[in-house]
Amino acid sequence: MISDMLRFAPLAFEGLDDFFTPEPAFSVMRNRLHSYPQINMGVTDKSVEVYMFVPGMDAASLDVSIEKNLLSVSAERKAEESGEEDSMSRRERFSGKFKRVITLPEDVDPDQTEAVYRNGVLHISVAKREDTLPRKIQVNV
Amino acid sequence: MTEKKDTAVSKVETQTPATQTGTEDKTAKQVRVMRPAADIHETKEGATIVIDLPGVSHETLDIDVDKNVLSVRGDITLDTPEDLTPTYMDVHAGAYQRQFTLSAELDSSKIDANLKDGVLKLVIPRSEKHKPRKIEVKAA
Repeated sequence: MISDMLRFAPLAFEGLDDFFTPEPAFSVMRNRLHSYPQINMGVTDKSVEVYMFVPGMDAASLDVSIEKNLLSVSAERKAEESGEEDSMSRRERFSGKFKRVITLPEDVDPDQTEAVYRNGVLHISVAKREDTLPRKIQVNV
Repeated sequence: MTEKKDTAVSKVETQTPATQTGTEDKTAKQVRVMRPAADIHETKEGATIVIDLPGVSHETLDIDVDKNVLSVRGDITLDTPEDLTPTYMDVHAGAYQRQFTLSAELDSSKIDANLKDGVLKLVIPRSEKHKPRKIEVKAA
């Protein structure tokens, strides 16, 4: 049935092409706007903040690791099971395994990393190394 | 871009104002909104809509039904330090918004909504009169 839909997809459903991809694994590649999951990043004077949009996960299933300045997050997002009587009329939400590796600035301290999962957003905060923080130099008289 | 309704596929059609299809809306003074990903499935009992709304909490979620149009809007709130300077952004929008047109068979007055970990699940039952019924055949 999916393949039937695909035949019509390019013309009839412009902008929805990622939805009609037969294999969920490829939807990441085909999505023109972004890959899954989406990320926002920012820096403060003391830390690097990463926000990963991964809704519907169990916090324990999120595999977060950091090595030097490489932060990687991997997990699997399971598709919701639907009974045989169900007819799935739309499937846009990502499902499957994902891994995203983020290169952080060189001056981070991997030992001071905190991760919180809230409202479907994984927030990872990595402190910058003390010795790289700007310091005030006392001028002696 | 014009909105295409895939009536053949679904009894629950989705629609979004043209400006929001796929991309973000940039109306002055308004928060940028984007269209969240949704799954729709139908059963004999009714329809289930599952929508990804990462960053949305109960307090910032707004669901309303006007006649047969179900609207979902959620503001994204992230716990950000005040002096944060963004360096990379996939998500530029501050809110999600999407509308669904419900078929007359569904009972929009009995929608059950549940938000957990940024995923909203809406269960909309079929109206009693539209549920498949078994007709007893009496012996003559």
